[in-house]
Amino acid sequence: MASPCISRAARCLASTARGPIARKTATAPASSPSSLCRRQQQHYHSYDHPSTPPFGPVDREILAAAYKHVPEHGFSLRAIGLGARDAGYPDISSGILPDGQFSLIHYHLVAQRERLADRSRELLEDDSLTSVGDKVAALTWERLVGNRDIIHRWQEALAIMAQPSYLPKSLAELAALSDDIWFLAGDKAVDPSWYTKRAALSMVYSSSELFMTNDRSPSFLETRQFLHRRLGEVQSVGGTVGAVGQWVGFTLNASVNVLRSKGVPI
Amino acid sequence: MSAPSLLRTRAGLLRPTAFISHTNRLFSTTRQSRASDPTPTANRATHFGYETVTESVKQERVAEVFTSVAESYDKMNDLMSLGVHRLWKDHFVSSLNPGATNPIGTPQRILDVAGGTGDIAFRMLQHAHVNNGNPNVHVTISDINPAMLAVGKQRSLSLPASHQSSLSFLEANAEVLPKTIADNSLDLYTVCFGIRNFSNMPAALKEAYRVLKPGGIFACMEFSKVDKYPIFNAIYKQWSFSAIPLIGQLVAGDRDSYQYLVESIERFPSQTEFRDMIAEAGFNIVGKGYEDLTGGVAAIHKGIKPL
Repeated sequence: MASPCISRAARCLASTARGPIARKTATAPASSPSSLCRRQQQHYHSYDHPSTPPFGPVDREILAAAYKHVPEHGFSLRAIGLGARDAGYPDISSGILPDGQFSLIHYHLVAQRERLADRSRELLEDDSLTSVGDKVAALTWERLVGNRDIIHRWQEALAIMAQPSYLPKSLAELAALSDDIWFLAGDKAVDPSWYTKRAALSMVYSSSELFMTNDRSPSFLETRQFLHRRLGEVQSVGGTVGAVGQWVGFTLNASVNVLRSKGVPI
Repeated sequence: MSAPSLLRTRAGLLRPTAFISHTNRLFSTTRQSRASDPTPTANRATHFGYETVTESVKQERVAEVFTSVAESYDKMNDLMSLGVHRLWKDHFVSSLNPGATNPIGTPQRILDVAGGTGDIAFRMLQHAHVNNGNPNVHVTISDINPAMLAVGKQRSLSLPASHQSSLSFLEANAEVLPKTIADNSLDLYTVCFGIRNFSNMPAALKEAYRVLKPGGIFACMEFSKVDKYPIFNAIYKQWSFSAIPLIGQLVAGDRDSYQYLVESIERFPSQTEFRDMIAEAGFNIVGKGYEDLTGGVAAIHKGIKPL
C-alpha cells in the first residue's frame, strides 16, 4: 500500500487525461473543466494507472444524447435508441453499447462524479467549511443533488445495478465516488483509516441515495437531514471505536509491562 | 497431435487426389480454375487447420468440409457445445436488438454472412418481427457453400410466411460480395462461427465496411481463447482435441472435417488481436470491443462504422 493519497492523485490525472465526459461537458455552459486535476497534470504522471477511458467517442456521443431522454423514458433501451437517433446514428447503433441499459446508468454515475470534481472548487471556497468533515458533507450533498432530475427513475436503475453481471462495476463506481469525495475534501491520511473512511462514506452515500428515492419533501430537505444524521453517527461511532481502541492498546501495553517487571520473559 | 505425417494422411483422406506434393499444389492451375470466385490474392499462403496452403486451396477445402457436414451440422453443434451454442446465439441476437427502431417499423437491412443454415437469420427475424413488432426488417443469408444454403432454404420452409418473405438467400464469397449489395446499404452485418474459415479475413472486413451504412454495425461471434482460466482451458482443449473429432466420426461419419474445425479454432487470433483487425478495417471499437462467452470459448466482437 504505497501512499494511497498519491495514487488517488495519479488516478485523478488519468481521469483528466482521458477526460471521458469532462471533455464533452467542457462545451456545455454550466460546467467548467476540472481545474483541480488539470493543475496537477503538469506535476505528476502515472505509469501505474494507465488511462482506461470508460467511454470512447462513439458511445459518449450516443449516451450523452440518450441521457436527455432519461427523465421521460428511464434508463431504458428506448432512451438509448432515441439518443442514437438524436446523435445522427441509425437505430441499430445502440447495439454497439457493451452493457445495454447499464451503459446509460454508468454514464450517469461517471458524469455526475466528474461534475462533482468540477464543482468542488467553487463549493469549497465557502469559508464556513473549515473541517474535512464539513467538506465531505457538502460534497456528498452536492453529489446527491446531481440525482435530482432522474430520482424518479433511480429505483429501476438500482435494480439493474444490482444484477450480478453489473454489480462489480457499480461497486467500483461507488468506491471511486467516495474516494473522490475524500480526496477533494483534502483528506491526507495514509494510515488504515484510509480504508474505513471510504467504506463508511460509501455506506452513508448509498443509504442516503436510497432514502432520496422516496423523499417527497421540498428540495429533498429530509434527505439532507438524513445524510447529516448518518454522517454524525459515523463520526461518533468512529470516535468511540477509536477511543476504545486506544484504551485497549494502552491496557494491553501496560499489562505486558507489569508482567515484564515481575520477571515474565515476554 | 501435430505430427506432420498424421496431418498429411488426414489431408489424403479428405482429398484422395491430394497426394501430390505441396509445391505442385501451389502452382496447380486446375484447382484455381475450379474455385468459384477467384480472389486477387488467391495464390497467397494462408492456413487450413495446422497446414499451410494457398488461399484458393483453403477456399476449396473449406467448401469440401462444409459440404460434407451440412446435413449433420445442427446435430453436431448441439453435441459439440453441449447445447450452449443456442444460448450464445440467442444472446448475440438480443444484444444487437434488431428491429427496435424509432419510430417503430423503420426498415432495416441485415446481411448474415456464412449463415447457411439460417440459425442467426431466423433468430433475427423472430426478434425483430415478434419481439420488437417490426415487420420491415429484411435478412439476407449469404454463404459461399450451396450445400449449407440448401439446408437453410429447407429449414426456412417451416417459418411463418411473413418471416419467409423477409428472407433472401445469396451464394457469395464474403471477400468479394456481389455489386447487388451496394455500398452503405446495410444496417447490420453479422458473421457467426464463419470468419475463421475465410481465406483472407482483412479483405472480408474491408468488404463489410464497404456495404455497411455509416453507423451500421459489424458483429461477429467466433470461437476464441480461454487463456484467462488455465484449468478450464485445459479441460476445454482436452474436449476439443479428443472428443470433438470422435463425435464427428461417430455421428457425422467424418473425423477429418471436425479435426479441421478444432485446428482452425486453435489458429484463430485471440480476442484482442481480432479486435485490432476490426479496427484496422476502419471500424470504431466501443469499450474493450469484445465480449467473452463461457469464459472465452466463444467471443462476440463488434465494430461500428463511423458516421
